[in-house]
Amino acid sequence: MAEKTFAELLDESTDDSRIMDAPLSERLKAVADEVERRSPEFAAVVARMVARLEANNVGQSAPQIGERMPDFILPDEKGTLVCLENLLEQGPVVVSFHRGHWCPYCRLNADGLARIAPDVKRLDAQIVAISPETHQYGAELKADANAPFPVLADVDNGYALELNLLFWVGDEKREAMQAGGFDIAPYQGNETWMLPVPATFIVGRDGLVKARYIDPDYRRRMELDAILAALGNLAGRVQSQASETESTAQRTAGRRHSTA
Amino acid sequence: MEMHQIRYFLAVAQTLNFTRAADECNVTQPSLTRAIKQLEAELGGDLFRRERPAAQLTELGQRMHPLLKQCYEAAVGARSLATSFKSGKVGTLRIAIADAVDLALLIPHLEQLKRLFNALEFKLLRGNSKQIGEYLKKGEAELGIAVEMDNDWDRLDGWPLFTESFQLVVNARHPLADQGSVEFDDLKSQQMLSRGYCEYAERLSAALRAGNIDVDGGHDISAEHDLIKLLEADIGIAIVPCSASMPDTLRRAAIEGLDVRRTVQLFGVAGRERTAVASAVMKMLRSADWLPFTTPVTAPGRETRPALSIVAA
Repeated sequence: MAEKTFAELLDESTDDSRIMDAPLSERLKAVADEVERRSPEFAAVVARMVARLEANNVGQSAPQIGERMPDFILPDEKGTLVCLENLLEQGPVVVSFHRGHWCPYCRLNADGLARIAPDVKRLDAQIVAISPETHQYGAELKADANAPFPVLADVDNGYALELNLLFWVGDEKREAMQAGGFDIAPYQGNETWMLPVPATFIVGRDGLVKARYIDPDYRRRMELDAILAALGNLAGRVQSQASETESTAQRTAGRRHSTA
Repeated sequence: MEMHQIRYFLAVAQTLNFTRAADECNVTQPSLTRAIKQLEAELGGDLFRRERPAAQLTELGQRMHPLLKQCYEAAVGARSLATSFKSGKVGTLRIAIADAVDLALLIPHLEQLKRLFNALEFKLLRGNSKQIGEYLKKGEAELGIAVEMDNDWDRLDGWPLFTESFQLVVNARHPLADQGSVEFDDLKSQQMLSRGYCEYAERLSAALRAGNIDVDGGHDISAEHDLIKLLEADIGIAIVPCSASMPDTLRRAAIEGLDVRRTVQLFGVAGRERTAVASAVMKMLRSADWLPFTTPVTAPGRETRPALSIVAA
């Protein structure tokens, strides 16, 4: 039998992390630790890329809290066009950027979102995931997470760039990914090796960003409780001017979720 | 990366002059230079050699140029589609489809657009591959769907959608109907309806001749709807691509040993500004799941990329 690729070995660890009874951040960290344990070299490449992105504040100029979330019209994994403006007529929207079905952290993130989907629905809100992958692979991310929400295809990362979330993987990381079994070009239908910074936006019915989480370290994602708290704030709020919350990895301590 | 940084980069790459690029982008030169420096820091290298009289793209700059341009055009397209939705005006989709390609491939995507854009209009052009190329060149069509294009024009961008094989189609009453697959021998003494409008007609004939099938005594057909009428009347049999839709009165069968495949491609013109609707259709078609039409490559050691493989005739 052929030796398993790094990607395949990580798949197994991801399945283990998924069933952990722990917050999303700990499940993600378990995979990151596994990467470190299995391949310190790969982990070092990841660290260098993340350091480059952090040093350049990649993603931080995406729409801020209180700013308008640009509208989008993107096809879901079945080809149905989904329009943000139409979604907002029904309630707040959680817009969650993913790198792809091949990414263990995205799989855990999508799985986490699928778990809170019933709570999100009770708060009259909806979730959409966006990835640069074609429908076939968007469908895989959705099926893997058993997600009730659509996975929208942002081919060539147009919407991600409009939001200033795009970054170039770079030669060193690309080579490490290809050697490890992560050849993303066929999934994206282009050879650009560009990816969105994983980011989550909570968009209110008024089209304004109410909370956001953007981290160039793709191993960290918006905590599920923080998403529900932000949506809870919106649902419980009499007026939409109540205090906003920004959650970032660096500033989790300052996060408050009060209901008006 | 930020959208304005890429816009400035593309402007300098085009003008090779920081001052002119700044003018074109309506910014001061120091802001343009600062933005490009930030982009260079993020990408980890210089994009330009600041020489006089003209700036030059570095090797990294040359590598990044097509990639950044592709993402930038996607972002501009995404933004203008959203704007069109607000105004309700999406314009006219001008698309040219090769005679040998079934419109059914496009229908689900047109339905989606129609659902969001009531006022959508289309101009649908038909022709052979050469004519599709001409429509694109002259700007009569923004997008083309065809199999092969004479590549004498370097501004044609092509995206392979799927690679498919050909199969036999006969009337349900025909003796070959209800046979899951047929062999070359079964085709002997059958009268063939030859699709003259298909770029692969010659190659199919060659493959049949190589299998000792006499293809010279067939009928020459010039349009798909004529072909279907004749098949429905049980006048002859035909070999058609798997993606061609056929009425229920007809039956399909695989032809063992027939290894002719074609790749259906989407074409656009590089460097020409696309309308919001054309850029939306382009992205819909490129992201669509064409797996149902794709014929898997089964022979070991064969290239798995969409490629043309033909039996040595």
